[in-house]
Amino acid sequence: MGRVTHKTTKPLQVNPIKLSQPMGATLAFLGVDGCMPLMHGGQGCTSLTKVYYTRHFSEPIAIQTSAVTDAIAVLDGGDYSIVESVKNICRKVTPSLIGLHTTGLPETKGDDIRGVAAQIDYPLVYVNSPDYEGGFESGWALTCKALIEQLVEPAEQVNDNKVLLLPHISLQPLEVEKIKDFIANFGFNVLALPDLSTSLDGHLGEKQAALSSGGIRVEEIKGLADVGLVISVGESMQDCVAALQRKNPAIRHHHFVHLQGLEATDALCELLLSEVGFSKPAPAVIRWRQRLQDAMLDSHFSLGQTRFLVAGEPDHLAGICRSLYEAGGKVTLAISTVNSPQLERLKADNVIVGDLEDAERLADEYDLIIGNCHCEALTQKLGKGLVVRGFPNWEQVGNQLKNDVLYEGGAYFLFECANAATLLRGHRAS
Amino acid sequence: MSLAKPKIRELLDESSCEHNKSRKVACNAPTPGATTGGCAFEGAQISLFPYADAAHLVHGPMTCIGTSWETRATRTSWQGRDLTQMGFTTDVSLNDVVFSGEEKLSKAIDYIVANYAPEAVFVYSTCVTALIGDDLDLICKQAAEKHGLPMVPVHAPGFVGSKNLGSRLAGEAVLRHLIGTREPEHTTDFDINLIGEYNVTGDMWQYSHLLDELGIRVLSTLSGDGRVANIRTAHRAKLNVIVCAKSLVSLTRKMQEQYGIPSISLSFYGKRDTTNGLLTIAEALGDDSLIERTKALTAREEARLDRKLAPYKSVFAGKKAVLNTGGNKSWSITSALQDLGIEVVATAVKKATEDDREKARRYLGKDGVLMMNPGAEQARLIDERGAHLLLAGGRSLYTAIKKGIAFADVNQEKKKSYGGYDGLLNLAEDLKNALENPVFKLVARRAPWEE
Repeated sequence: MGRVTHKTTKPLQVNPIKLSQPMGATLAFLGVDGCMPLMHGGQGCTSLTKVYYTRHFSEPIAIQTSAVTDAIAVLDGGDYSIVESVKNICRKVTPSLIGLHTTGLPETKGDDIRGVAAQIDYPLVYVNSPDYEGGFESGWALTCKALIEQLVEPAEQVNDNKVLLLPHISLQPLEVEKIKDFIANFGFNVLALPDLSTSLDGHLGEKQAALSSGGIRVEEIKGLADVGLVISVGESMQDCVAALQRKNPAIRHHHFVHLQGLEATDALCELLLSEVGFSKPAPAVIRWRQRLQDAMLDSHFSLGQTRFLVAGEPDHLAGICRSLYEAGGKVTLAISTVNSPQLERLKADNVIVGDLEDAERLADEYDLIIGNCHCEALTQKLGKGLVVRGFPNWEQVGNQLKNDVLYEGGAYFLFECANAATLLRGHRAS
Repeated sequence: MSLAKPKIRELLDESSCEHNKSRKVACNAPTPGATTGGCAFEGAQISLFPYADAAHLVHGPMTCIGTSWETRATRTSWQGRDLTQMGFTTDVSLNDVVFSGEEKLSKAIDYIVANYAPEAVFVYSTCVTALIGDDLDLICKQAAEKHGLPMVPVHAPGFVGSKNLGSRLAGEAVLRHLIGTREPEHTTDFDINLIGEYNVTGDMWQYSHLLDELGIRVLSTLSGDGRVANIRTAHRAKLNVIVCAKSLVSLTRKMQEQYGIPSISLSFYGKRDTTNGLLTIAEALGDDSLIERTKALTAREEARLDRKLAPYKSVFAGKKAVLNTGGNKSWSITSALQDLGIEVVATAVKKATEDDREKARRYLGKDGVLMMNPGAEQARLIDERGAHLLLAGGRSLYTAIKKGIAFADVNQEKKKSYGGYDGLLNLAEDLKNALENPVFKLVARRAPWEE
């Protein structure tokens, strides 16, 4: 592994890629069917978050705000604004769940949202997610943990046929679906928590975005304590597993750092085969593995001569870096939004916690960028190539159907990167 | 330099704001759990970020700028680095919340000055840093002395109110800290300030060349394609021109009181409004020869536009549209659609002021419907009036598909300019494409397995 710098020394962020904790919490609640995410804070946090996701997914986004004002901030401990919010939301719609999550404002003044939640006679899950702590991944993971702690009913028996997938935040809707299907192919009933694959996958329905339209159902969450096996993907999801095992210590657990590339997918396959006692997976899985092998060989020549900058969330970086490494792509620089134990394991020469100003400063270290749409301006300024991944991607449509995981997605991902690198060299030569 | 913070109540009680007669403070009372729309910080950002030669430093946690940098397609001709399209934030942490973020903030200002050489730094407070009481005024004052540059504290934390209030607070900051701090090299009889024109997608450039041609000089803008050096001289203008922005009437009223500059309010959306806008400016400047020249120029431009629009005439003949948007767009887009020969049968006025509703009524005539509850009304009106086209936000797309009619996203204008004379050509092309696109009917096709 390469050099890892865990802390930035700058007094500010310039052209940030870091995203806030409450935004991660919002997205997690959008993976619960019929949910109304309720952000506790000033109205702007909600409005900006709504626009942000609407542009990324090209979908209407359900979310409400407790609309804390300066006067209320001084006088109210959240009792008034949260209780009023719930009342006003229920006047118009009937959510299956209200997903209360905080921003920095109420946390700074010390609102006791746990106490307020206890007063509310409506299905509600609360999570403390101030934006002056943590980041995008932790907001999602804390919410997932809160859903487990506050909804799942304890059990003693397990159903060996039932598997729970805990995906990290950077997995796009189709990727979650592909992982669920992969596991289901071995004969399991699979649920994902949260599940964006049925809510933000961009399906045409009669939706006005009054509530999240799809995702795991609240009843299904309540009954999660009887899963035989939980599969977590991404370092950020580890705490959720512990929370679930407290509901039923008989639940077994397998952790995957990521599910990109040949080795990681092999490991998942091996686990599932041993679970069911089969000697071989389904023919389509075998075929896709052969296609990935071929894709690695077809793309290795281009990738082998390319230096990559990968910028994004730690759990996302882990998969991308590994996948590129397997076909010879050299990740010379990885920029993480926040610190994480994951950074020590990245297949990259130089790993820093930073922003796109750092990317600009270290421009000599790489040729092709893999990162969000804010990298676009950088590629133009510096004459680099770009493969857009991560949040946000406002410049392209179809983000919800991007798939980089497992054998199938791995093949497409390598081709896309190899072609982008070849195109860049063509531009530079001419 | 006065360091007192602006009085918010006073700003809410704006005497020159027409729609505020009946609701003295109600503009600023969001309902918990039933509120849409941005906050004061966002409003301040919209108003000031177009100064591309200034750095915009957001003193707050990550949500404020993490969600919003590089989101506004405001264009600039500034030759240096376009600082509008950069995100600067102190990204305050728990440690800063407990022990104050002031030291971090002044280091951040030093860092920006050293690395980006801005003409000024705007420093924005946010909910968290306003609550912990970081003294932006003091830090800005010290930094201004240290670096010899204007440092403008912008006191528009999200929780003080809506976007509209944030814009007013931004105007207040500019008035207190920039306007009147520098003298222009020379003045002319036809110097104007453009207030509330942000040059989104280059809207301002659709008509600014016409002002040039008429000899009307844009002395400064707030803030489209703006320069800090110019807004500092804004007190020497002969006229303030407010472009489609009610939020900045407080600023122009105060400029009238302090500097005797009269103001007018207009729109450059569509053919008629652009012509009216140019004529209104000429008349306000009060020069007969200028008025004559403006009449000639607008006649020439209208004739040129009509020639270019001629091929679209047959496409739009007999076409009816329902418009579901808010604010001044409820009438300004109506006007533009009518210029193209499209009949507007209904427009949404739920999110419009009294003044906007009156204008919408004038443009629509007695048969047009002003929708107070567009979500529920638009589907019915499409049927009743036989509309061919729905112009609305993305949420209404499904209504158009269900009705099998064409849909155009009113927010497309955020990517492409529909302003001035030539913007109408962009609008015409986009609407023609929408009307000709088979997608709205095809996606509504019944699946083979459905009854």
